[in-house]
Amino acid sequence: MRLGRLWNSLATPKRIPRVFSIILGLVLLAGFIVPLTYNDNQLYPRPTPQLQISEKDPLAPYDRGGVPLKEPGIVKAQYPNYAPAEGMITGYLSPISIGVSNTTLYYGTSIYSSPGGLIDEILYYSRGFDTFLESSILMMAFVVASWVAIHFTMRRRED
Amino acid sequence: MDLSTLGGQFIGIIPLGDIVLYFTTFNLFMFAAVLAFTVLIAISRTESQVEAQFGTLKDREKKVGKAEFKIRRFLAIVCGLATAGAMVTGDVFDFTLFVALIGIVNIGIVAAVKEIDVLDSAFQYGIIAMIASLPLFGGAAFILASSGTLSLLEIVNIPTTTLMLFGSILLFLGVAGETGVAPFFATKAEMFRTPGSPFLLIIHLSSLMVIVRIIEILLIINKPF
Repeated sequence: MRLGRLWNSLATPKRIPRVFSIILGLVLLAGFIVPLTYNDNQLYPRPTPQLQISEKDPLAPYDRGGVPLKEPGIVKAQYPNYAPAEGMITGYLSPISIGVSNTTLYYGTSIYSSPGGLIDEILYYSRGFDTFLESSILMMAFVVASWVAIHFTMRRRED
Repeated sequence: MDLSTLGGQFIGIIPLGDIVLYFTTFNLFMFAAVLAFTVLIAISRTESQVEAQFGTLKDREKKVGKAEFKIRRFLAIVCGLATAGAMVTGDVFDFTLFVALIGIVNIGIVAAVKEIDVLDSAFQYGIIAMIASLPLFGGAAFILASSGTLSLLEIVNIPTTTLMLFGSILLFLGVAGETGVAPFFATKAEMFRTPGSPFLLIIHLSSLMVIVRIIEILLIINKPF
């Protein structure tokens, strides 16, 4: 009898997000007692957080080294045979970026570092398909939102 | 254990850098089924709902307008392609992205209807899909942190730790939220109550296929046998 009432309450759409978040909260709480056994042999390694900053590296924390098109930087790939040019352009800096990085120690954390600055090869080369998918998720969200805006908000008929 | 224990004969891979799509007999069958269904949807027209009215002999017909038809067909095709991609991907993070894409597109397919009940439940489904992105990507992140890799072809050879098990529980919770399986089915079941049947069916089909696939992925990660 009580179980039946419970199932019935699950049939109300309004309650579902609450039920879901309660279950999620319980699972996340259970996560506190799970031993954190990280694998030391990570595929996408990072230097220690403050290491490059302490060394006064202007590209910190994104310095991966390497000379563009000559010497590969420190970028690992799961399957190096499918990504033969891995790390070749990770050290590229545009002339503006070189100028800025000579004047400040905080170039790596500034907004200059994106366009023509520090190219994240993991995003654009070895895991490029992920970037393609991420932007298609964003594009679909815009398609839905703009369709609703154009047809329901701008051309509204009273009916 | 290797991939062919679950999926049958290993047929081949499509390497896209670190992201490797792989085909086994099982995968390939699901991939082909989803693609065939997507083609059927792309060439079909919507049904119109007929409602009987009280106190009169007339029927009321609910039709789908042309602009609505077009956007729904487009989103249904995208949903079908995303489902097909999720069937063959050999990368955990790539799989979560496909599932997130399916979630967004599912809301879009019903976003164009003019029925308040349907829109209300679509709104609730949207909230769940947003909440579910935390365990979805968090689970993939835990699996990466505990195994050191995201590729299923490598994870097969890595012994399972407790953290991997926890990560896969989170991943399953995320997929359950995004696809709206029991006990979270109420929002999705209400979303179907609108005309335009073949496009709405892809919502259902994508959930079913993704659930089958996530179970295969969880078995690959946790290796119970």
